[in-house]
Amino acid sequence: MMEPLARAFERSVLERPRDGGLFGPQSIVWRVHRDRSFPLAAIRSLMVQALHPLAMAGVAQHSNWQRDPFGRLAATAGYVLTVTYGDTDAADSAAARVRAVHTHVRGTDDVTGLAYRAEDPDLLLWVHAGMVDSIVNIVQRYGRSLDAADADRYVAEMARFAEIIGVPANMVPDSVAALTDYLESVELRQLTPAASEAIAIVLDPPGLDAATRDLWHDLGQAAVGTLPAWARSMYGFDEPAPEMMEREPVRQLIGALDFAFESFPGVLEARERIELRMRA
Amino acid sequence: MLQSRLGRGAGLAKLALRIGGRYLAGSPRLIFASVDRRTELRHELALRTAEDVAEELGSMKGALMKLGQMASYIDEDMPESFRTAMARLQHNAPPMTPELASSVIEAELGDTPERVFARWDPLPFAAASIGQVHRAITHEGRAVAVKVQYPGIARTITSDVRNVALLRRVAAAAFPGLDTRSLIDELGERLREEIDYQLEAENQELFAGYYEGHPVIHVPHVVSALSTARVLTSELVSGAGFDEVLRWNQRERDMAAETIHRFVSRSLYRIHAFNGDPHPGNYLFHGRGRVTFLDYGLTKRFGAEDLAPLVEALRSLVIENDGNRFRAALERAGFLRPGAPVSTEMVVDRFGLFYATVRRDAPMTITPAYASEIVRRFFDAKGPLAPYSDVPRAYVVLQRINLGLYAVLGSLNATANWRRISEEIWPFVSGPPSTPIGEAEARWEQEFKGRGQALQAAGL
Repeated sequence: MMEPLARAFERSVLERPRDGGLFGPQSIVWRVHRDRSFPLAAIRSLMVQALHPLAMAGVAQHSNWQRDPFGRLAATAGYVLTVTYGDTDAADSAAARVRAVHTHVRGTDDVTGLAYRAEDPDLLLWVHAGMVDSIVNIVQRYGRSLDAADADRYVAEMARFAEIIGVPANMVPDSVAALTDYLESVELRQLTPAASEAIAIVLDPPGLDAATRDLWHDLGQAAVGTLPAWARSMYGFDEPAPEMMEREPVRQLIGALDFAFESFPGVLEARERIELRMRA
Repeated sequence: MLQSRLGRGAGLAKLALRIGGRYLAGSPRLIFASVDRRTELRHELALRTAEDVAEELGSMKGALMKLGQMASYIDEDMPESFRTAMARLQHNAPPMTPELASSVIEAELGDTPERVFARWDPLPFAAASIGQVHRAITHEGRAVAVKVQYPGIARTITSDVRNVALLRRVAAAAFPGLDTRSLIDELGERLREEIDYQLEAENQELFAGYYEGHPVIHVPHVVSALSTARVLTSELVSGAGFDEVLRWNQRERDMAAETIHRFVSRSLYRIHAFNGDPHPGNYLFHGRGRVTFLDYGLTKRFGAEDLAPLVEALRSLVIENDGNRFRAALERAGFLRPGAPVSTEMVVDRFGLFYATVRRDAPMTITPAYASEIVRRFFDAKGPLAPYSDVPRAYVVLQRINLGLYAVLGSLNATANWRRISEEIWPFVSGPPSTPIGEAEARWEQEFKGRGQALQAAGL
């Protein structure tokens, strides 16, 4: 399960980048995206993003990710990491590839009967906002320190991330408050059968051994607990027990998974490359 | 048979080989780079703040590294190359920046290291599992090694080892087939003691006092005035590391092994206390059998009532060759459930392996294969005695010492008449010196006569 993620991580953090990329080693984006709480942020992101019926329909109708959820997750992680830590060329070509795929992703959602296309800036913005909101939320709760001012700067810096995929810069929220307002302002939020099905797989992915599965379940519980109230109530999830959400045990859980992740070849070197460039 | 560690591919399984060895497995540069380059790289990645420390060693990471280190002694599938590399790993955890280390000295000893010491080397020369060691010279002119604990690590490790449920699940995933329950219990005890340098200082002084003047065993003294719960200052010693000794000739290796064996038996039978971390990184070798023993982070003291059943088992098997009494002693100690439906021959055969080095009065070579077999037998969850045997809490550390001792002697491929050497030390035999080192030791004992009685009078 971790192997494709480890490979994606290793490949995305280039050994000989030609420049500092879209954000640069001194950016908050670099600082935040190396956080070890990222797996948890990923789960929360997917849970928020799936609640837009058209975004969900695009994935459900055009991808067979269920057959290899971790491979798919690795592809997404690879994209985020390449755009972050790759050089400008690598980031631009990764974005170009995704935009090219998006031109073919269009159709009609069964539940709402609405037509969609993946190039639609509104859908792209939704996906972007779901991710950025989740990263800020999770890192502030369970990651390295990220104060309110830096969190705002992070959200503002990430506007570039949305832009390269096709969202006009003036549409992108540039502070934590603006981001929350935006998410809550989107009318078309609902739980479709496709989303239920997808999230069931995210929370209980196939092919995990028993021990890893237990750890993953706990991670899922923590992710559920961090959802905005509206999202949790759409899914009909109960609020997890407060002790499942405390910083210390969740960090321990993340730390144990991260320890295993770091033991895959290449991961530690990639982290060192990031660290050394940030310190240079 | 335990499952092959290499054969499994899924999930956390690969952890088994790499857990604890992450700096090795993940970072070939750090291994193959020249020593200078390695030092440079480590310092480029040095931990700058308490938050860096928490990221690197908190949130279970320090605890899992320790678990990996412990398991590396008891996992028979661990390849030899990995086992040897573990010795080097000890020295590869990222260090603190000079500023961070300095802040710990200031918080603990009340002033900057430059003022507390006459001379202070801001760069560490060795890593400890939860800290690092600096060279310094005291105002009295003594050369010392100053172990400085990572800031905040005591708190996070205390919290981590309390999360037994998570540790059990990770250990079960990483080491299926091993008895992870006792491993986790021991891990907790080990780490809780390890974070208290004050306790370590007391234990180190106990050993240093006892072995004062010993011809081949050396234990550095603690400088109490410059030690606290987070800083441990002791006499500086230099010598060859374990990986270096592996390249020495066999005669040197045999003598080093003999001294290690003597240290473990003597500490157990004469001072009823022993250093519970028989890690290759904790020895410094000086040639001709002279060894310095470092690290008293886990020291177990035994009462006479703990030792009696062990002595009884040893005597009845090794000296008297009486299977029934041997079995009865094991049952009394709690190693074997009384009335287990297995033959006494089987008990002698299975448990006797642990005494193989001292059962016969003849030279014997402790090979790596023999050491692995001991460990495999010990942790064999499917053996015929497994349902009826257990390691009572009081002896977990002792077992670790034994297993660690075999691993070390096996790596040295050491040959000696272990029986004769042991008989010198067993209080119920008090045999004559059997080697040149034994003779020197006897002269030392003569010279320091009354030491044993004095210690016993002091309640040790």
